[in-house]
Amino acid sequence: MARSLLVALALAPLGAAFAAGERERDVKFEDPALRTKVTTLANGLTVLTLEDHATPAVSLQVWVKVGSGDESRFTGIAHLFEHMMFLGSKNLAALGPEAYTKLVEERGGRINAYTSRDVTVYFEDVAPEHLPLMIALEGERFANLEVTEEALRAERQVVMEERRLRTDNDPEGIAFEALMALTYQAHPYRVPTVGWQSDLEKVSAADCQAFWDTYYAANNLVIAIAGAFDTEATLGLVQRHFGGLRRAATIPRNPQEEPAQDGERRAVAHFPVKAPIVLAGFPAPATGHPDSDALDVAANVLANGRNSRFYRALVFDAPLALDPQAFYWELQRAGIFIAGATLRPGIEPSAAEQVIFAEIAKLAAEPPSANELRRAKRALEVAWIRGQGSAHALASRVAQDYVAYGRIETLEEKLAAIARVTPADVQRVVAQYLAPNKRSVVQVFPPAPEPAAAPVSAEGRP
Amino acid sequence: MSRGWRCAAAAGSLFIALGACASEPVAAPPAGADSPTAGSNAPAPTREPFAWELPPVTAVERPIVDASRLHRETLANGLQVIVLEDRRLPEFTAGFVALRGAAIESTSETGLAAFTASLMERGAGERDALALAAAVDDLGADLAVRADWDTLRVSLSGLSHDFETLFGVLIDVVLRPRFGEADAVRVVAEQRAALAQAQDDPARLALQHLMRSLYGVHRFATPLAGTDAVVSSFDAGSARAFHTRVVTPAGGILWVAGDVDARAFLARAKRVFGAWRGADPVPLPEAPPIPEKRRVVLVDRPALRQAQIAIGHEGIARTDPRRLEAQLLNTAFGAGGFSSRLMNRIRAQEGLTYGVFAQLSQYRVPGPFVISTFTRIPEVGRLLASAFEEMERVRTDPPAGIELERARSLRTGAYPLALETTEAVMAALVDVEVYGLPRDTIDTYRPRMRALGADQIAQTALALVHPDRASIVVVGPAKALLEPLSKYGPVEVVAP
Repeated sequence: MARSLLVALALAPLGAAFAAGERERDVKFEDPALRTKVTTLANGLTVLTLEDHATPAVSLQVWVKVGSGDESRFTGIAHLFEHMMFLGSKNLAALGPEAYTKLVEERGGRINAYTSRDVTVYFEDVAPEHLPLMIALEGERFANLEVTEEALRAERQVVMEERRLRTDNDPEGIAFEALMALTYQAHPYRVPTVGWQSDLEKVSAADCQAFWDTYYAANNLVIAIAGAFDTEATLGLVQRHFGGLRRAATIPRNPQEEPAQDGERRAVAHFPVKAPIVLAGFPAPATGHPDSDALDVAANVLANGRNSRFYRALVFDAPLALDPQAFYWELQRAGIFIAGATLRPGIEPSAAEQVIFAEIAKLAAEPPSANELRRAKRALEVAWIRGQGSAHALASRVAQDYVAYGRIETLEEKLAAIARVTPADVQRVVAQYLAPNKRSVVQVFPPAPEPAAAPVSAEGRP
Repeated sequence: MSRGWRCAAAAGSLFIALGACASEPVAAPPAGADSPTAGSNAPAPTREPFAWELPPVTAVERPIVDASRLHRETLANGLQVIVLEDRRLPEFTAGFVALRGAAIESTSETGLAAFTASLMERGAGERDALALAAAVDDLGADLAVRADWDTLRVSLSGLSHDFETLFGVLIDVVLRPRFGEADAVRVVAEQRAALAQAQDDPARLALQHLMRSLYGVHRFATPLAGTDAVVSSFDAGSARAFHTRVVTPAGGILWVAGDVDARAFLARAKRVFGAWRGADPVPLPEAPPIPEKRRVVLVDRPALRQAQIAIGHEGIARTDPRRLEAQLLNTAFGAGGFSSRLMNRIRAQEGLTYGVFAQLSQYRVPGPFVISTFTRIPEVGRLLASAFEEMERVRTDPPAGIELERARSLRTGAYPLALETTEAVMAALVDVEVYGLPRDTIDTYRPRMRALGADQIAQTALALVHPDRASIVVVGPAKALLEPLSKYGPVEVVAP
């Protein structure tokens, strides 16, 4: 069947918003991702090219299928390694430290990388003319990275500052770290991606090298390129700079599977906050599960907008929180559903928690209204349609799909999956996954005041 | 295992142009030193050059604003309407900008612009707060009303399929907000809670105390969202009065970008907003005084394991003729990603931080010039010393030569990338109008940036960077930090 490039999105008229008699109107537009070409090099490396000359930019992204969820001995090594990728390679050594980044930045390009539980992603967003250099640079570090003890020593300090910034000094970071450790007992997702300080201190250049040898193989990479470029010429460059990377016979994965939870778990973190935090986590399906769309809809019914259940209960009807949240985090091997809120000063976390759980229980006992369902679905649909205006967003979308599903889902498929969710589905997934005996709860609030210590004073100082 | 370079050595096709390379932004490595044939006594490399050794490719300068898609009209009442068509995806973003913001607030109304903006989201026209939210959420759209120092802005984005309904919402929010009493009570409580919550973020806390230190009694000295005491006094009437004062067609901007028909929109805008009459714009805010001497503030947070640091003094206004020089200078100094002097030294060489940035906040009146960073507690003294040394050095040894060219190339290259999306281009167009800049500001940016000479940058450094009177705020355990800070002057220790 010939595939139309147009997405026909049938949007139902919404009650009073439309004049009487107005029927469904189709929104027709081209799904840009449908033009993606998938190429596999002889060494197993996958290249996704999405040529689009309407944008003045190109995004080059290298997705490595390794994240903190793959770590075994040293926590934080996947992320630390991501940092090491910026510190030097054989043929760039003469240009000095951070040469790689500078070569991109002095062309006005944006360069960065990130590490998650499942993937490590390196990217450059540049003017089209600079793409050949970007491919050569990425090829250089993927082929010729040099990890020295000296570079590692300095970068370790930088990463520890990153940890202090995002976790140790940040109440939300503290809550999140505690929640993951509580929800996952067996699975390595329990460990923070940034790692523990003890491990960061001890990891050596040889350990980094071993990590590289294990995971940075051609058949563990997906390259996505979106924007204004010539596909054939670009594929030639990718072949030239990445075609020589080795293929790994096997990519080891951690064996742990999270055993079923039966019984609530709790943790408290003391931190001198004005606004306490309560977070709850529930084990949820891994990427690609048929229940994922219903869980997304449930999250929206609970916490998206001023008519959501949480907003009504925690903000509008009672002044307990500021911005309650709920979301389904679709991790590759074991997902999690998170619900929670940062509370107003003086609110007892336990009081707010009861309100959150009561709202979840209501949704488990009774399906959402037709209005709620429609609103939640529309939010998800619009989120998919919007935000595709940049080369970076497009490259991310196709790479993410390919890494998660081994193929690119069309917008039509994504929208159809959302459309299929019924009120009963939402009720069922809430009852099944968000049950009281499956939750882990973290509260962050200030410690009890200590006996008054001598105040620090500047008096007498010069 | 082999991880060798795969680049085929093309015999004979040597690229020996080191002279040319040396004058280019990209410095060439020593010839042959790292080449596959290193060790031979050959005077020239016998390999094909690496891509980064070649002279930099010049990016084609595509026009940023596609004039054929841009439509404007100024209505008789002074309202300016701007439309930027882009029919590729079925979406749009629209908004209204009023040309006054929190900077015009008196000391008894700090936070009122933010309060008014929040309350404008809570009901308009026939719809109360929840009905208004439902009208927007039912369509998967986003409505936001925000105040900053210079403006109050309404923005609404959604699918073009829903444009009619959503534009109706936008009209109501701009012209007919309800300002309900019960909603005002809620928003007061929310704004007070948010002010308290901001104290939990060391970065915001540091900036707040720096602004307090720099600006004395000027409006900038207190946070945009005001103070708890003043915000507690607001009611619906306060917001209604501020709305009447500020949301007015004279000088206001109505804009839309995306999948809309420009002609139809302009006609519609004229019909709806043409008869709107509002107050004359209130006078512009006064420029803040220039702080005379350094203040050193230590915000005592004993539990923190990393100290947050802000160093700063007065900066420039958005309309300052030296804006581009200042931006180029700051790119080389502290705003150029990894290429900046601050990042190079404090992160890459010294490993003291994960990030260090210098920012020139520009408003209608001069905003602050601030260096923001953070480090582990025992290294605060060392980091401050490095930062102040770099402030001195940018005056005595200003960016020139290759360093300046790199910064310039970063700015001219990054500019079109930052304006990749239609929405971003529209935001830049609105910015030009808000500050009354020349209409060709966007398209002349790159040539103007290229025309700046090293002398201008050196003069700008002397005029704009003043380490001698830069104030310092550190958030962290006072017990450990008093000592390293006292070097810089008398320390005010503040409990947050």
